[in-house]
Amino acid sequence: MDRHPPKPPPRGLILLGIGILGLLAAFLLGLRPGGLIPNAGGLQLARSFFSAALDPALTREGASLAANTTPFLEDLVHAALRTLIFAAAAMSLSILAGLPLGILASDTWWRRSSFSNSRMTAAARAMQSAVRIGIALMRSVHELIWAVILLAAVGLNTFGAVLAIAVPYSGTLAKVFSEMLDEAPRHSAKALEGIGVRPLGVFLFGLVPRALPDLVAYTAYRFECAVRSAAVLGFFGYPTLGYHLTLSFGDGHFRETWTTIYLLLALILCLEWWSTAVRRRLVS
Amino acid sequence: MDLEIAPGEIVALVGPSGAGKTSLLRLMAGSLMADAGTASFGGQDLAHLAPSALRAVRSRIGFVHQDHSLVPIFRAHQNVIAGALGQRGFWSAARSMVRPTSADLDRAHRLLERVGIPEKLCLRTDSLSGGQQQRVAIARALFQAPHALLADEPVASVDPTRARAVLSLMKEIAEERGLTLVASLHDIQLARELFPRLVGLRGGRLIFDSPTAQVNDAALEALYRIDSPAPHADG
Repeated sequence: MDRHPPKPPPRGLILLGIGILGLLAAFLLGLRPGGLIPNAGGLQLARSFFSAALDPALTREGASLAANTTPFLEDLVHAALRTLIFAAAAMSLSILAGLPLGILASDTWWRRSSFSNSRMTAAARAMQSAVRIGIALMRSVHELIWAVILLAAVGLNTFGAVLAIAVPYSGTLAKVFSEMLDEAPRHSAKALEGIGVRPLGVFLFGLVPRALPDLVAYTAYRFECAVRSAAVLGFFGYPTLGYHLTLSFGDGHFRETWTTIYLLLALILCLEWWSTAVRRRLVS
Repeated sequence: MDLEIAPGEIVALVGPSGAGKTSLLRLMAGSLMADAGTASFGGQDLAHLAPSALRAVRSRIGFVHQDHSLVPIFRAHQNVIAGALGQRGFWSAARSMVRPTSADLDRAHRLLERVGIPEKLCLRTDSLSGGQQQRVAIARALFQAPHALLADEPVASVDPTRARAVLSLMKEIAEERGLTLVASLHDIQLARELFPRLVGLRGGRLIFDSPTAQVNDAALEALYRIDSPAPHADG
């Protein structure tokens, strides 16, 4: 009898191919590690920047100050709060838009008739594709580019900044929500379908609650991202932490820069602690 | 296969895995339609009902699944009250999930009392043990005010001592309410001990259908026999 044991599929060639592509990319980009070595001036700048890390400013640096300016720390804390509020406003809009879009982009919604993988009608497929293309358009443009566009259109407008974050974030939430809904366990939905519950009820009370812990955890993570995005929007002049970051860095007030960075770090750590607590409560 | 189960009868489906027990239960529940032949419930041919009529029939057939059929993040009462979702309009159903009426809560509480865990009414379902979750599932089926109770391996994921308790509870409830009970079981000992009628399935065929007392060891051996072992099997 001539029976060979089945051979495992070859992986070595694939790895080799990936390695070659990586080298090719580095060559085409002209990556030279030598370019990372700073010159004497750069070294001096880097030294004074990083040595400021150990000694963050608690009051404004520099002598020429008008007497009536608000204290430095108070200013920064306000900026941190505004960063948080920008992010919260953007996330609220993103959830309002992202959840319905995510539902409409999921296979499960259009397959409602049965949770066993019944086929979608052509009309359903067309509508789903339209939603998915819209979502792709929203998130294919980065929030900084949306910010540039909206800045040109409406000027330094708070709502413009919030929209700049909310548009791509709605798209991202919608895409990930739709995948989470499609991957959620179906047992509860099937059980409800089996006892005569209508499709909408099956979806809302059998499927969405199974996906909910993941949906909430991912939303919390995106909130953290939104805080970073809101901070960066300060580079354009919005009164968030990024504004103070560029200003102090430009003035060479590195100790102020570091205070801003530490505040941003504290904000992100608080959010992470909070989102972990939420997730633990839901998943238990 | 020709199988008739009278109202109020208590029947166990037994047989090796792949025998068709689950398919038969799903045929009875109207969630699977026969390619040939008919399945009827209360005299109605399930394959020829309009979708809304079929939903109405299904809303009165309680089904206890092997596991995972409850929503883990719901409170126990939400899962129990979900049993009535098939009998309510959308808004009333949504309301009963979000803000249940005190009448619903009372009924859910009484049913949980009947299955032995009234104190779990407002606890999250995923904080309950496997056996307790199966009791919630039974209470959900009873909340449907069902005509019949179907159960697919209801105790397969519960430890053996609790399995007996859960199963005899189902039987007791079916008897006191005059419900038809059909359960598929892989544990033949439990089936023989608790169920008065056994239906043996193998390879999608009916092997026997008789009162438990008349099912002898030879019949069971034929049911579970492993034939034509693979020629190259190891060991």
